[in-house]
Amino acid sequence: MTRTRTKTDETKSQPPARAAAIVREYGPFAGADVIHGVSHDGRRVWAATGPKLVAFDPESGQIARTLECAGDAGTAFDGTHLYQIVEGRIDKIDPATGDVVASIPAPGKGGDSGLTWAEGSLWVGQYRDRKIHRIDPETGAILRTIESNRFVTGVTWVDGEMWHGTWEGDESEIRRIDPETGTVLERLEMPRGTGVSGLESDGENLFYCGGGPSGKVRAVRRPKGDKR
Amino acid sequence: MDSLIAAAARALAVGDALGALKRVALREDPPALALRGIAMAQLGEHPRARELLRRAARGFGSHEALARARCVVAEAEVALAMRDLRGSPRLLSAAADALEARADRANALHARLIAVRRLLLLGRLDEAAAALDRLDARGMPPPLAAVAEMAAAEVALRSLRTAQAQAALARAFDAAERAAVPALLAEVTEARAAVDRPAARRIDAGHEQVLRLDEVEALLASGALVVDACRRGLRAGREWRSLARRPVLFALARALAEAWPGDVDRNALIARAFRARRPDESHRARLRVEIGRLRALVTKLARIEASARGFALAPRGKRDVVVLVPPIDGDQASLLALLADGAPWSTSALALALGASQRTVQRALVQLETEGRVRSIGRARARRWLSPPLAGFTTILLLPAALPPG
Repeated sequence: MTRTRTKTDETKSQPPARAAAIVREYGPFAGADVIHGVSHDGRRVWAATGPKLVAFDPESGQIARTLECAGDAGTAFDGTHLYQIVEGRIDKIDPATGDVVASIPAPGKGGDSGLTWAEGSLWVGQYRDRKIHRIDPETGAILRTIESNRFVTGVTWVDGEMWHGTWEGDESEIRRIDPETGTVLERLEMPRGTGVSGLESDGENLFYCGGGPSGKVRAVRRPKGDKR
Repeated sequence: MDSLIAAAARALAVGDALGALKRVALREDPPALALRGIAMAQLGEHPRARELLRRAARGFGSHEALARARCVVAEAEVALAMRDLRGSPRLLSAAADALEARADRANALHARLIAVRRLLLLGRLDEAAAALDRLDARGMPPPLAAVAEMAAAEVALRSLRTAQAQAALARAFDAAERAAVPALLAEVTEARAAVDRPAARRIDAGHEQVLRLDEVEALLASGALVVDACRRGLRAGREWRSLARRPVLFALARALAEAWPGDVDRNALIARAFRARRPDESHRARLRVEIGRLRALVTKLARIEASARGFALAPRGKRDVVVLVPPIDGDQASLLALLADGAPWSTSALALALGASQRTVQRALVQLETEGRVRSIGRARARRWLSPPLAGFTTILLLPAALPPG
């Protein structure tokens, strides 16, 4: 299965990749050796590190808050609550108290990776199945599905653009795709051995990317203005 | 990686193998297979673990070389714990190269150490020593450093370099303490105790004295002429004559050494070497021949002088003559002493060295094997016997993070 898919992928015409511009690196943070998911609440960057969630200030790089909430994959913020993929479910968390106020089943039943909030919905990446689902945040029902041609390791929306992180073997990119067709529109290539696990835009000109087992969060410049 | 894989890895990291299994039990994708394999290995289910890790390695795509290499390494370690030494060393070495090329140094080192341990188990000490020398140990994580030092200690010990072995074991102990892996610490402690146990007895002028390994080494370095009944040969300083394949000559040498500086009666020699109760002229003729052979073989170390009633040993230079025997008496002890060199022995070679029948040796070996004091590799005619390794390494499954990044 994997092999045939890769083959079609190679034959598909793709836009040329550009090198991703890494602006800054944060972490590894004390007591956290992995980053599974990242989010941005307008001021701070949140990162799921396995047993807990941490929030750091992107200016100082200092940890501002720690919540004892488990997180195994993507993290999202809807303006009030955090959403966090844990095992086979998505927890809705009050960032002030760390209380889980609701839980819905994750669409990939545990094969999920990558989460973001946009247009009143949650968007969930399904890692090895190379899919992105739009789901109802109340019930978890799948509203529609976008097919990608790469493993999905992070999803984010910014200025009406949909971006997702991918990491297959040694190769990792941040890609902009057409949310209707899944067609790849733009590719930012990460340096070799630098992966993307978790992706979130700060709403302006930066992406925050989880660095998986490196335990780092990297800020990558979002290209603009020169969109062909 | 996806959320359940991450959750399972989180459980494994805190030692909850069952919790990890529960999360991925029904999944058949390669990362899940790898995790299931590692969890099964930690639960001691080695055959199942191996199968899962193999399937995981096959399942990863060609572009997922790192994840695949980690599975190959984990599988090799499980095979080693099962004492299955048939696997291909080339596959493991290719995996180590792949890991190195992708800057996963810890797992690359881990793979190379598995190869070294495999060579030690096969009794190929020279190759193991050479492979250890090639390792770049800088910045090695403590558990791997402990394993590397244990392997170095084993090589040194088998070649009777006790001081080196003890130094390596001391470093292994430090590393194991830093690694804080209880099983590892227990194995190093046990190996250190083994070095301090009686290794042999010396007999000279009718006196007997129990020796530890370092005392054996000191004795061999003292320049005395040592008739070594543990390794079946004669040693004086750096000179070594193996008589392992000449049991009759060794029996004569030992009888002469035990009587030194006196001589030994011909009939007594015949009784010791040929096991003949009533010697006749043909025995005496044969004794002359065998003494002539021994004389030729040991000429650099000692002379064998004829006396009125028999023969006497006269070491060259002003040396003492000492006989070294296994720490306890009996055929089994002799077998164990022979195997202590760590090299693989065939049943026939052991029988020849001990001057016993193959059947007798076979029976003793089977008995020792059930007690876990010797082990064998190969089958039928290719079967070889070895002493158990200094460190079991059985409990130590350091298993690489066989997870794909993400």
